[in-house]
Amino acid sequence: MDRTVEGYLAQLRQQLAGSDPALTQDALYDAEEYLRSALAEAHDHPAEAFDSAVEAYGTPEEIAASYRGAELTVRAALKPPAPRSNRSPLSRFFGVAADPAAWGALFYMILAFATGIAYFTIVVTGLSLTAGLLILIVGIPFALLFLAVVRAVSFAEGRIVEGLLGVRMPRRPRNVGVQGDLWTRVKSWFTDYRTWTTMLYMLLQLPLGIIYFTVLVTGFATSVATIMLPAIQEAADSPVIRIGEYGYLIEPWAYPLLVVCGLLGLVVMLWIARGIGYMHGAYAKAMLVGTVEQGQQWAADAATSQTSASSQSTAGDAPGGGN
Amino acid sequence: MEANEDAMLRKFRKELNAGTVSLVLLAIMDRSADPLYGYQIAKSIQVATPDGAPLKQGTLYPVLRSMEENGLLVSRVEPSVSGPPRKYYSITDHGRAVFEQWRGAWSHTRDFVDSILEGNVG
Repeated sequence: MDRTVEGYLAQLRQQLAGSDPALTQDALYDAEEYLRSALAEAHDHPAEAFDSAVEAYGTPEEIAASYRGAELTVRAALKPPAPRSNRSPLSRFFGVAADPAAWGALFYMILAFATGIAYFTIVVTGLSLTAGLLILIVGIPFALLFLAVVRAVSFAEGRIVEGLLGVRMPRRPRNVGVQGDLWTRVKSWFTDYRTWTTMLYMLLQLPLGIIYFTVLVTGFATSVATIMLPAIQEAADSPVIRIGEYGYLIEPWAYPLLVVCGLLGLVVMLWIARGIGYMHGAYAKAMLVGTVEQGQQWAADAATSQTSASSQSTAGDAPGGGN
Repeated sequence: MEANEDAMLRKFRKELNAGTVSLVLLAIMDRSADPLYGYQIAKSIQVATPDGAPLKQGTLYPVLRSMEENGLLVSRVEPSVSGPPRKYYSITDHGRAVFEQWRGAWSHTRDFVDSILEGNVG
């Protein structure tokens, strides 16, 4: 094995290929924290220090197996009990009212309006101020601050999405496994394409948030209005539906029909919310974390670059992590 | 046959660790006056067991996270020069109370298992 932290992380990534990318990100983060701390303590024999650190921490195979196992347990614990499968289509249709996923998605649709405005403002302000200030020296720290905020938002939005939409998102911030001084690590922010997809996600959150919010408010307002029409007409004792100069009275026999239609509308809204929540969860994961396929591709790339790197460095014996 | 015994031993260890790791971590956090980050906690286990602890330190991190989610620990994140930002954990009052209870449960279980193993029963 290539005896560097990068080599270890690449191997761990390979071992976890095919797993949830959010899980991979968490496992890589923990391993990097441990190994870098261990190596930072040992100054004179980096290679030996690396070996004993891996010995204590666990080989990539062991760690991958342990994280996979823990993930299964956690997922089983978090998963809501599966609905009875022998239910009739009708009770499945109304069962959505007891589905936490639908209510979580509903709340997310309201929240997306607020976060959409905030994210859009952050990106537009950040980009334009950075571009404007870059000719001055303050532009550089400002650009860094902006990127740091984007990365923080990526993590925070992931937590919101996991909490409300039930999609597994990273529980640690993203770290691309870059070693070196502050400058190298900051540089990695620019080359990490997740930074840019996150920015795009933040921009798109505004139109999406507006659409979600509009769909939600329209759907609920229409449904509730339909339910209330008969009661209002009785109370006001005058036609409630008015088009131009004409008022239309609802016949009393149609009262129950309207109430039923309104209630059905509410249930349909919950289904729509559930569907939107499902799609937004998948979209957020693809934009903020990546897909399983991308993770596999990433692992394969790391493996090939690893073999070429280690065949080059065999002559001089693999150097340990030198920090 | 020997491979099978090895696998059985590993499985048994894993099952034992599943219950005891949280207790060990709580004990370390209870004793420590300062907040500790993952590597320091792992290191203190290593120092306390010169013959090698029966667990891989990589398995500690997820446990720390879930203990924080359960309110036994709290954490704050500080940047580090050597790698990713570090999470410093410290124990909560709830964590201390749980630790006292677990400690009692542990000594009860230990005495029970010991007494059976030493043949004082039956």
